[in-house]
Amino acid sequence: MEQTNQNKELLFALLAGVLYSVFGILHIAEGLSINTGIAEVLFISGDILGGACLVIIGTVFLYGSREMTKGVNAGVSFVYVGILLSLVFMAVYILTMGGNLLDSFIVPDDYEGWSAMENFRPGIYLGILPFMGILYWKNRFSLNEILVVREAA
Amino acid sequence: MTKKITVALAGNPNVGKTSVFNAITGSRQHVGNWPGVTVERKMGKRTYKNIEMEIVDLPGTYSLTTYSLDEIIARDFLIEEKPDIVVQVIDATNLERNLYLSTQLMELGVKLVIALNMKDLALAKGNRIDEEKIQEFLDVPVIPTIASKGTGIESLLDAIIEEASKARTNDDPLSYDESTEGRVHELEMILKSDQYFAHYPSRWFSIKLLEGDENIIKKAQESEKYTPIREILRKTDADNFETKIADQRYSTIQAMLRQVCDINTCHLSGSDMVDRVVTNKLLGIPIFLALMWAAFELTFTFATPFMNMIDIFFGWLAGATAEVISTEWLASLVGDGIIAGIGSVLIFLPNILLLFFMLSLMEDSGYMARAAFIMDRVMGRIGLHGKSFIPLIMGFGCNVPAIMATRTIEDPRDRLITILVAPFISCGARLPVYVLLAGAFFGRDAGIVIFGLYALGILVAVLSAKLMRTTVLRGEDAPFIMELPDYRLPTLKGSFIHMWERAKIYLKKAGGIILIGVVGVWLLASIPAPGSGGIFGSEEIYGSTDSLVGALGHLIEPLVAPLGFDWRIAVALVFGIVAKEIVVGSMGVLYGAGEDEQNLSNILAAGAMTPLTGLGLMVFTLLYVPCFACIGVIKRETGSWKWTLFQLVYGTGLAWGFAFTLYQVGSRTGFLT
Repeated sequence: MEQTNQNKELLFALLAGVLYSVFGILHIAEGLSINTGIAEVLFISGDILGGACLVIIGTVFLYGSREMTKGVNAGVSFVYVGILLSLVFMAVYILTMGGNLLDSFIVPDDYEGWSAMENFRPGIYLGILPFMGILYWKNRFSLNEILVVREAA
Repeated sequence: MTKKITVALAGNPNVGKTSVFNAITGSRQHVGNWPGVTVERKMGKRTYKNIEMEIVDLPGTYSLTTYSLDEIIARDFLIEEKPDIVVQVIDATNLERNLYLSTQLMELGVKLVIALNMKDLALAKGNRIDEEKIQEFLDVPVIPTIASKGTGIESLLDAIIEEASKARTNDDPLSYDESTEGRVHELEMILKSDQYFAHYPSRWFSIKLLEGDENIIKKAQESEKYTPIREILRKTDADNFETKIADQRYSTIQAMLRQVCDINTCHLSGSDMVDRVVTNKLLGIPIFLALMWAAFELTFTFATPFMNMIDIFFGWLAGATAEVISTEWLASLVGDGIIAGIGSVLIFLPNILLLFFMLSLMEDSGYMARAAFIMDRVMGRIGLHGKSFIPLIMGFGCNVPAIMATRTIEDPRDRLITILVAPFISCGARLPVYVLLAGAFFGRDAGIVIFGLYALGILVAVLSAKLMRTTVLRGEDAPFIMELPDYRLPTLKGSFIHMWERAKIYLKKAGGIILIGVVGVWLLASIPAPGSGGIFGSEEIYGSTDSLVGALGHLIEPLVAPLGFDWRIAVALVFGIVAKEIVVGSMGVLYGAGEDEQNLSNILAAGAMTPLTGLGLMVFTLLYVPCFACIGVIKRETGSWKWTLFQLVYGTGLAWGFAFTLYQVGSRTGFLT
């Protein structure tokens, strides 16, 4: 049972890690004026620092999967923190979009031809995966104490 | 006949040492000071089974180095006074950290008895501890106690008496790797050959020498055998040795814990899980930077609609006032002076509130303490202490409380350096200048420019710290010792209260010094310069070169002309010394934009200033003389006009140098012109 859970976490960490890293790199590439050809369809902006943040989240997930494959049971911590970070960034992007939407009602002249989708970013839709993760593992990832097998020192 | 023994109570802070002391001594206590210092010394007496015990409560310490006064007191007492028994009180809910001190006490060769306190709390957390196994491993008596209820105290007293009657001690509790043992053995041989060292446990003394313990090295220097000792020490990197020894002690403790906690398992709390990642060597700093970026991004973007609401309201208010007041100069005073001035400050309230709210979330959740911890490595490299990090972070809100918060830094040099560099951390009052200029010249990249300015502030602060550390304020680095609180889910109410407490300072300034400042600017902008022949308060004079402020500006313009600044910027910067918030309001008056930020932004972008000058002005605002309140607190906290003046001259010199280089290089290369 414990092993099955661990496999699920490992797969999740790998998938989330690769997705966040790839999208982060695409953001940076666009920011450096490298045409990826898929920026528009995936709502990728040329925001280099935002892209770097996605790469950091991806790295946290991948680091966790590396620890788990090495048999370090507490590697699950990285999945936990990766989920928290991706949810924080999802909230930041949603609030940014909401702020601009509200502003477009207050000063409509400044927003002629603007649509809310212009602020739609991968950080929002990528966040759905970690959101599902936190729902699935909500008991395991509580701030209460959990029992894990201590890894070799 | 009653036998007398001395018992020292040692332990980490907050492990229940005082409860054990009270439970043993009851009302027979005496409080004084340790010799030569103002640290409280508590002593008590207890006669038990015909043995009179004098109990000395040592200051709480995490280790027995000499990095803090408490550690020096505890260590000196153990070495010099040689108590018959040392009782170490251990917090059963935090064995790993507490046992680190045990290993050091054992190496010191004292007769040790362990009081395993708060075992009930450990059990409540589901952590079963096998104290008999700990006893077996460490070869010292381990007595479970719940000192707050008096449980286990008699068994503890029995163990003290039994241990005191034994002759031997075990001063070789841990074995290190071969190369370490080789060096320790070499030194031990030399120490044993000199009677001068007979007073000290030779193994412990050797390890301390290799760790580079200054106190111990000084003692060794007085020996005739110091030359061969120095030769061995010369071959050893003390910092690496100390880290290696600490790692090996912890490895041994962890190996033991695996066997004394629940069988092969250990509890990992949510806090531990988060800490594992956010304090990770590779990921800790990138995660911190990503979170800070998120905070600034949100500060700039989410606040915009609320800023526009305030802007529209003050625009309406100024217009309505102008219609009601018929006297030209009075309408100008109320509309262009008071309303425009207050409006220009309040418009940035949403940014300030958001930034403070996010800093409060980080503090209340317990993350900020971790940030200090992970930054200690970086801070150490640049000459600052990890504890300097929290005051510096507070500086993002306001430099005044940040400078006051340096009181938590024990080392006077570290504290002084932190005070001197704190004003380079960009406070909330400078944000309006960035928001205005970055918004006017850099459009959608404004967030990145502002982030860059904050980063520049940090960079200047750290490089200045390094410079001071290596020149005028040279000294030894102190280690980072700080209790990391458990993570808590911050409550909305708590974070709002913290945010409000800080925002209140900003609002009070808006209603006080800033109001006076903007009225002052209005007056100077309305009074005609001598010989100009204009009329007070007239539209022709207001903020023009014929006003008093115009004359003042022209007087100081040559000082800032090499930076690309004109007389209006010079005046705004002078008024900014009263409070940085006034810079934007003054520019509104001097550029004839009134209270309307958007109007001012449009005037600047339309050619009144180039993007290069705008960037230079932001950099200058970031680095030059801090505000009056900040200058006052620097003087109070350093207690010196010399250091206060040094900060002002150094900061302004840097600001001038940066802005000059930026403008001269930019205008010659066509960058942002």
